[in-house]
Amino acid sequence: MVLYDSATLAGSSSGSSSSSSSKPPPLQPEQRQDIDGHLAGAGYKVRSSELRKVAQRLERLETAMVNSPADLSQLASDTIHYNPSDLASWVDSLLSEFPLTPTCPAEFVTDPVTNQTVVNDAWTTTETNMLLVPQNVSYEQQNLNNQLTVVTAMEEDSGIRLVHMLMTCAECVQCGDFSLATSFLEDMQGLLTRVNTVCGIGKVAGHFIDALSRRIFQGIGGGSINGGSAYENEILYHHFYEACPYLKFAHFTANQAILEAFDGHDCVHVVDFNLMHGLQWPALIQALALRPGGPPLLRLTGIGPPSPDGRDSLREVGLRLAELARSVNVRFAFRGVAASRLEDVKPWMLQVNPKESVAVNSIMQLHRLLGSDPNRNAPIETVLNWIRSLNPKIMTVVEQEANHNQPGFLYRFTEALHYYSTMFDSLEACTVQPNKALAEIYIQREITNVVSCEGSARVERHEPLAKWRIRLTGAGFRPLHLGSNAYKQASMLLTLFSAEGYSVEENDGYLTLGWHSRPLIAASAWQAVSDAPSEFPVPDTHRLS
Amino acid sequence: MVQNHHRGCHHQDHQEIVRENKEKRPKFFINDHVDILIEILKRLDCRSLCVAASVCRLWCTIARNDSLWENLCFRHVSPPPSSLRSVVLALGGYKRLYMGCVRPVQSRLGRVRRASWARDEVQLSLSLFCVDYYERLGGGSSSNGRLVGESSPSSLMFLCKPVNV
Repeated sequence: MVLYDSATLAGSSSGSSSSSSSKPPPLQPEQRQDIDGHLAGAGYKVRSSELRKVAQRLERLETAMVNSPADLSQLASDTIHYNPSDLASWVDSLLSEFPLTPTCPAEFVTDPVTNQTVVNDAWTTTETNMLLVPQNVSYEQQNLNNQLTVVTAMEEDSGIRLVHMLMTCAECVQCGDFSLATSFLEDMQGLLTRVNTVCGIGKVAGHFIDALSRRIFQGIGGGSINGGSAYENEILYHHFYEACPYLKFAHFTANQAILEAFDGHDCVHVVDFNLMHGLQWPALIQALALRPGGPPLLRLTGIGPPSPDGRDSLREVGLRLAELARSVNVRFAFRGVAASRLEDVKPWMLQVNPKESVAVNSIMQLHRLLGSDPNRNAPIETVLNWIRSLNPKIMTVVEQEANHNQPGFLYRFTEALHYYSTMFDSLEACTVQPNKALAEIYIQREITNVVSCEGSARVERHEPLAKWRIRLTGAGFRPLHLGSNAYKQASMLLTLFSAEGYSVEENDGYLTLGWHSRPLIAASAWQAVSDAPSEFPVPDTHRLS
Repeated sequence: MVQNHHRGCHHQDHQEIVRENKEKRPKFFINDHVDILIEILKRLDCRSLCVAASVCRLWCTIARNDSLWENLCFRHVSPPPSSLRSVVLALGGYKRLYMGCVRPVQSRLGRVRRASWARDEVQLSLSLFCVDYYERLGGGSSSNGRLVGESSPSSLMFLCKPVNV
């Protein structure tokens, strides 16, 4: 085999300074302008018009090499390679060495919009692959190493291609070109088999591909995903609580704010917009039990979906909390309000006593009220109004820090891809637990709702805190600063999670928890502006979405 | 325990003196003085306390006493509110609090510990402990029809070191 020093290949320009036995015919002047400039700088001569064809051939060569490891040794010893700088003919000669060159499963789809981008990305990485081959003297020794490098480079390449394809497919969906979108889906499914789907971009891409398929084939009505039973949702929520710190952060921060707001009050009432298993409240009950001056009378009203099988799950949770409160000597009363949607709750159901101090706690519930129907008032306004009428001492709001409520599908898709990739990254870094898979299903349901549902079926309408601030101040609330105690507690909590990469930030009185400086969840506290009349002009919130 | 080395002594009077001394000095067994034993064990760290618990039955009983673990929890913290004890005992006791929450919290926060955090560490541990207690109560909620693994409290799992299987 004729070997070429990689340095000369990289450094030389048009003339090849190799020790090849045959020199190519010198290029005619008119041909020279046709040569791709970038590759010429790397020592390869390829005509720009042939770029795509050569790229496809290289891909095919790569597949053949990876799929037939036994045959590669012959490339090292028996074959004569002529002049790799003329890449087109070199690739062809190599390809002819292989008895069977299967067509690449994911050939480039002719797409005038993104043709250039897709080709260029694949080109740069396959170029790297090919540079590896001529370098090795004893090919067999480094065979495995090389294969691994080729495989990882191919994986990265496939990962990047997946992302590009996802975007392109989403764009087709937005334009309504479902047939093209379907063909992209098939390509992506094929590409998924070549990528590690246990972690990283492969896993996230898999979820998004599923969600896109749902949208294309099952329509935007939501179908079975929103029909998950309340029981299932509770279990998934519980595992999400355990696997990563987001919910713990939410609970502990909200509790700290509520505790500080209730300082000095003897008769307190907490309204929880989503009770689930009531995991937030034991810590508050314990903190109230130990506060100087003794515990107050605590009433808790938990809102949750009705149980289908006649079991009163709200009441069971209430009984557990009551038992805990009794153990620590806190006078406690519980009331459950069963409602399938938050907007069905009316303030009289909460039975708020005018003499008690009220705290309203909403952990990732307010965004569900941002309906998209332009003909009627979004339920958020009704709910915010009656919250104000309760005159709460504090309202704790924790929401996902993401922009998933834009009307444009492609924008929403892109945002969701970034957000959930970050979230999956953070989940991977947490210590391995047997229940992590269920936590991932919880996140996957959110993804499916954001991507594949529209209208009333889409309940995951996340908005960033900046928008919530506008909305809440417009509805007659003013922000309360979360104190340094909350920040300290949140920092400590994060340090306990052995994954390094979580960060708590405090901005203007609210706290965000993020992964590597991308905030993922934001906690804030609010108080009703007491002297504002109830006809406080609410800005046209429809324009915000 | 005071050990008497009886050296072979040739002088009769020396032997007598030694014998007299032996009779005058009472043997000291620490196990006879449980209050002193408790005072000593109170000052041990967690590992030594656990080792001490395997010395003999008496030491084991004493080491299990919750008040020793209370000292361990609050050694570096200014005296806690008096109501704390009843709360902790209701939630499962100091030993459980220490082993389950305070120890992993302190060890994980150890590298970033600041003086002012000692109290907050304990408070955070208490909150986590309370959630754990609540989950342990959960037998009632996890009634027929639920998954088997549901009733085991696992909210503190994130504090456990990952096991290499």
